[in-house]
Amino acid sequence: MPSVRLEKVEKRYDDIRAAEDLNLEVRDGEYLCLLGPTGAGKTTALRLICGLTDLDSGKVFIGGKDVTDLEPERRGTALLSQTYSLFPQLTVAENILFGPDIRDLPEEQRRRTLANMLDLVRLTKRPDAFPGELSGGMSQRTALARALASGAEVLLFDEPLRALDARLRISLRHELRSLAKSLKITVIHVTHDQDEALVMADRIALIRNGHVLQIGEPSQVYDNPVSPFVANFVGQSNFVTGRIIEKGEKTVVRTESGMTVFARQCAMEMGEQVVVGVKIGNTEIAREGDSFFEGIVERVLFEGRNLHVDLLVEGTIHFSAKIPSWRLGKLASGDKVMIRWSAEKASVFPMPEKGLREELKVE
Amino acid sequence: MARLERVLEFISRRSIRKGWLALVILFFLSFVIIPTIFVLTYAFTNWNAIDSVVLNDPVKMSMITNAIINSFEIAGFVTLIDFLAGLPMAWIMVRKKFRGKQLVDTLIDMPLVVPTAALGFSAALFWGITPGDIVNPLGLGVVSSPLLLLILLHIVFSYPYMVRSLSAILEQIDQNYETAGRTLGASPLTAARTITLPLFRAGLVTGIILCLARSLSETGGTVIALATLSGSGGYNTGPTLIDGWKKIAQNTDPNYNAALAFVSILLIIIALVLMIIIRLVMKRVHLPMGKVWPRPEKLLSRGFFPKLKDSSTMVFLAVAVLLPSFFIFTCVFVFNPTSNGNWSGFGDSIIYSFIVAGVVTCVDLVLGVPLALYIARGRSKRLPEVIDTLVNIPLIVPTAALGYSLSLFWVGGNAVNSDIGLLLVILAHIAFTYPLVVRNVTGAVEEVDPAFEETARTLGAKPIQAFRRVLLPMIKSSILAGAIMAFTRSLGETGATRAVVSNANTAPNFIVTLITKAPKDLYSAAMACIILIAISYVLMLGLRYFTRRRKGAI
Repeated sequence: MPSVRLEKVEKRYDDIRAAEDLNLEVRDGEYLCLLGPTGAGKTTALRLICGLTDLDSGKVFIGGKDVTDLEPERRGTALLSQTYSLFPQLTVAENILFGPDIRDLPEEQRRRTLANMLDLVRLTKRPDAFPGELSGGMSQRTALARALASGAEVLLFDEPLRALDARLRISLRHELRSLAKSLKITVIHVTHDQDEALVMADRIALIRNGHVLQIGEPSQVYDNPVSPFVANFVGQSNFVTGRIIEKGEKTVVRTESGMTVFARQCAMEMGEQVVVGVKIGNTEIAREGDSFFEGIVERVLFEGRNLHVDLLVEGTIHFSAKIPSWRLGKLASGDKVMIRWSAEKASVFPMPEKGLREELKVE
Repeated sequence: MARLERVLEFISRRSIRKGWLALVILFFLSFVIIPTIFVLTYAFTNWNAIDSVVLNDPVKMSMITNAIINSFEIAGFVTLIDFLAGLPMAWIMVRKKFRGKQLVDTLIDMPLVVPTAALGFSAALFWGITPGDIVNPLGLGVVSSPLLLLILLHIVFSYPYMVRSLSAILEQIDQNYETAGRTLGASPLTAARTITLPLFRAGLVTGIILCLARSLSETGGTVIALATLSGSGGYNTGPTLIDGWKKIAQNTDPNYNAALAFVSILLIIIALVLMIIIRLVMKRVHLPMGKVWPRPEKLLSRGFFPKLKDSSTMVFLAVAVLLPSFFIFTCVFVFNPTSNGNWSGFGDSIIYSFIVAGVVTCVDLVLGVPLALYIARGRSKRLPEVIDTLVNIPLIVPTAALGYSLSLFWVGGNAVNSDIGLLLVILAHIAFTYPLVVRNVTGAVEEVDPAFEETARTLGAKPIQAFRRVLLPMIKSSILAGAIMAFTRSLGETGATRAVVSNANTAPNFIVTLITKAPKDLYSAAMACIILIAISYVLMLGLRYFTRRRKGAI
């Protein structure tokens, strides 16, 4: 199965930069999630790959071949839109056979493809149903079968689970991924849901303002984010700002309000302005004991397995912690708590040019 | 198969697609838009002629002024009455359920497809005081003023446009707003007036423009009605003036060309300016609908008053629209059959009309659907937007002026032989029917999510295949509806035809000639009208069949 590569792709709509110096490499048979906030250019990236949008400059390669000037129908990249776009005037079977019909395959081959596909997506009982009569899950499976039957070797999913209800969405995550894996097809899956991306992807590409910020395995993106934005978008993070006062196995940072915090080793210079980020799940709070600084409990939200605790901490924009819910009742608003984390769980980032607040903004 | 494959491959090339599109746009500009407004250039090139023949001739000037004032007077009254009577009718058709609604719905549309020449004769016999040689004793014979008669006639064929435009909007307005108003304590009348009515603006603009344009442009029915009414000599509207002068220019005095050009220019400019003003004004003006009179409005919402409103609306439909349209059928019993009726002439004219309408519809479809696709799918770009606006021009311009402009463009306004004449009539009919197809198809394509075609492309379909297999089945009924509209409009048109070739042998023209030329052959004229109405009725059933299917399918 082919790889997909975007090289220095640029695309502007009037004054909106939908793709800016966009570089992306998707490997053979990989399941890649393109993750980013709304308006980050995720859908544009998909449309550039399948040729529905013309790029301003740059190149697109599929299977190592330059397809920049190739029309959509010659690229072998099937798009599954958010609403699936099943052709309403055709039955499930006719929808699935759309690609084979276009290519005018022999009757025998068509019948075999249809049988295989119906079997694969468990729709053997509904081949004559019209799209209007299908449930959300069935529509999605029909669209998938149609894309596979067209002979496409790269599948582009544009938020394929968005139109489904929450429970179905979660069960279909595994189904979709294992199907793609067993057929060894290359998949690029666009989503704004970080949980979905973490569970489904071989690798995640985080995209913002039409530019890939970081690409890597889910654990890598989660644990070693390259910027405060990534740290906050993939699993919420807390941030404190200050200057490096000591370097070694761990980095020591002194904040403007005079507190001292620890973080993991970093490459930045002594005295440099930095941001320290730590996932809210790795932020520990206690009544007493060793701590970096104090905070006041603002509110406690019960989430089932966990408690989400919002805290007031001097000199920070927003501060939260996630703690096991057995501690419910032991914390109340207004309580003073001690805050700490282990140094290797905290990352150090250079101070963003436009300031931390601007960096964290999600449009 | 391999050859087909190669043909597909060839026409799917980007350069071929671009070239085809360029061709379509070129056709639109050079065969539709430029001929329609070409007469405007006459003011620059031949100002001297206009100056000496028209401006320095007080008789002609006063004829022109009177005709144009008459035209706008009629159009204004007609539109106002259409609105007042059409609004409650739209309400009934959208919000009420009753037995026979389907039939009423069909009857309202009826005058849209009947050639206006037939309607004109029918309505004039019904309302008008007619001279001794045209007597139908069953007619009311109460109207002696040409102004009043023409208002009554124009209501017949413009009323359906108003009802259709208003009900199209009313169908889209969410009734929940009104329900919310009711739960907050408003009476039905207050809720409808303050909440729903202000949302009507878009439909009202469409309705007003359609009614004005239709009334300003109507020729055939008007000529016949004036000829049927006694003592209407000398009364003209803009189009009838063009109609009359065209004959003079073609047969006796070519000097009249300057006068014709001048009237056409005036009509086109005034129509366009009026349209722009209406669009702008309606966008800006907020009707003072906020004020509420709870007590009287509550009273008016109860018991007797709503019933009075609904029944008077129905009576209006019956008396002002339906009776005048169908009155012609009584002529079968009243008029003495003419022994030497020219039936082969009528047969020829029907064939002529069908050839024209058929060719026109084919050209409209082949070159109109691609333009509609271009407009609907290129919303964000500049050129499609401009074309979208330009498409409306031939719909607004009075067809008699359009016809004269067109003949000026192609043959310099001169008389031509019958073969060229046929070609010119076809070109003129294309100019004002082409926008009907484009409008219909554009509307339908805009309702289809582009994701369907795009998905088809990524599944391996070439553009032409994506269109044929995915988009076409979804918009088929709108294409057919547009085609039938174009066909019936072409079949019923008089003004443009006569302005291009004053003696063209179309069916409506044949009827006009029977009535306006001595010796009058009323029996044949009535029979010809009835036959035309019957043909139109069949076409209309087709139209309804296809438009209904669309609602069910999507």
